[in-house]
Amino acid sequence: MSTEQAANTGVQAGTPAWRWPAAGVLVVLLLAAATRFLEKGVPTWFAGSGLAKAIEFPVYAIVLGLLGNAVLTATGLRDRLAGGFRTEFFIKTGLVLLGASINLKVIVTAAGPAIIQGIVLISTVFLFTWWLGGRLGLDDKLRALLSAAVSICGVSAAIAAAGAVQARREQLAYSASLVIAFALPSIFILPALASALGLSPEVAGAWIGGNIDTTAAVTAAGTIVGEDALAIATIVKVTQNALIGVVVVALTAWFAFRVERRADAARPGLGELWRRFPKFVLGFVSASVIATWYLTTVPAAQGKAVIGVANDLRTWFLILAFVSIGLEFRVASLKEAGWRPVGVFAAATVVNVLVALGLAALLFSGYTVE
Amino acid sequence: MSEVEPPTSGESRTALNEDWAATIVGLVLLVLIITGVIPTGLVP
Repeated sequence: MSTEQAANTGVQAGTPAWRWPAAGVLVVLLLAAATRFLEKGVPTWFAGSGLAKAIEFPVYAIVLGLLGNAVLTATGLRDRLAGGFRTEFFIKTGLVLLGASINLKVIVTAAGPAIIQGIVLISTVFLFTWWLGGRLGLDDKLRALLSAAVSICGVSAAIAAAGAVQARREQLAYSASLVIAFALPSIFILPALASALGLSPEVAGAWIGGNIDTTAAVTAAGTIVGEDALAIATIVKVTQNALIGVVVVALTAWFAFRVERRADAARPGLGELWRRFPKFVLGFVSASVIATWYLTTVPAAQGKAVIGVANDLRTWFLILAFVSIGLEFRVASLKEAGWRPVGVFAAATVVNVLVALGLAALLFSGYTVE
Repeated sequence: MSEVEPPTSGESRTALNEDWAATIVGLVLLVLIITGVIPTGLVP
């Protein structure tokens, strides 16, 4: 929260600091309940209409979030309530619970191709974006941010890269807004393209996971395609998330020793790798281990019912995250930095889409989720 | 709608804590489900 925002909150007016974030969480919960109501109600109300049945909950959640955003912005309440829009927490808790519905064997067998896809895709897209940014004369730090954001995983990669290259705040804000502006439409466009191209759920999932920049948007698009696609998209995405540390360490060293040539720069070590590692990945894998073990100890029907409860809770957390995405969405002042960074990001996104499609088809075409 | 707020180092720390918080909450919920504390049919 910025100083200006803090000044606008109720702290000054004597309202306890926790009330506004708590009210924000309440808004998210109410919109999530409305999403669940629409998700269950619309197919019944419009029985026979294929379209109503085809609309998955991320669509309702994001649209309701955006509507809520417009209302709260118009009434001046949005910034005060923003402390309750915990997209990161909701999505990560949802993904930990998602681990319970993925057999450990799937994670283990999909991890190999996911790592290969991650390394090839990140290297290709990062170097392309870096090269194009250089050709168009972008500042080295902005090049590094945009390259990390478009090749790895959006905002969190941009934040990590900004720390590594000591970028300016406005460069980070700008990169983050580009990520969101491109991720939101891709939630709907990629599943539609995957369907039009006739991709298998596994290939579609690997494509979505490798290509869409933010984890929440990957989950939303994967959900729209289906359960198997969601599983593979998540595995591919968390693999890329886990590779952030490697890129950050490489960037830190590159900028310290080659770009800025600082003699006093310390060599980044293993501690930095661990610090940048997304810890929820451990929760995701642990949940899979626990559930896989649990299912060997109970009858199949009982196991299915119990994991079904975890799936219902997971859906709730994902809805909370998608509603928060809608509520958090901000239109950035993209004009300030001019058209060139937008051009670089758009071109890099196209390359990302194509390379990710090729790699997904190559690495996951023979793969099936059991 | 307004501009994107640049994340600060404080927010990075929050994101780091949210990683652990999400891991703990997710795993605790899973254990509660498996042990039957959260029964089938309770979650709407």
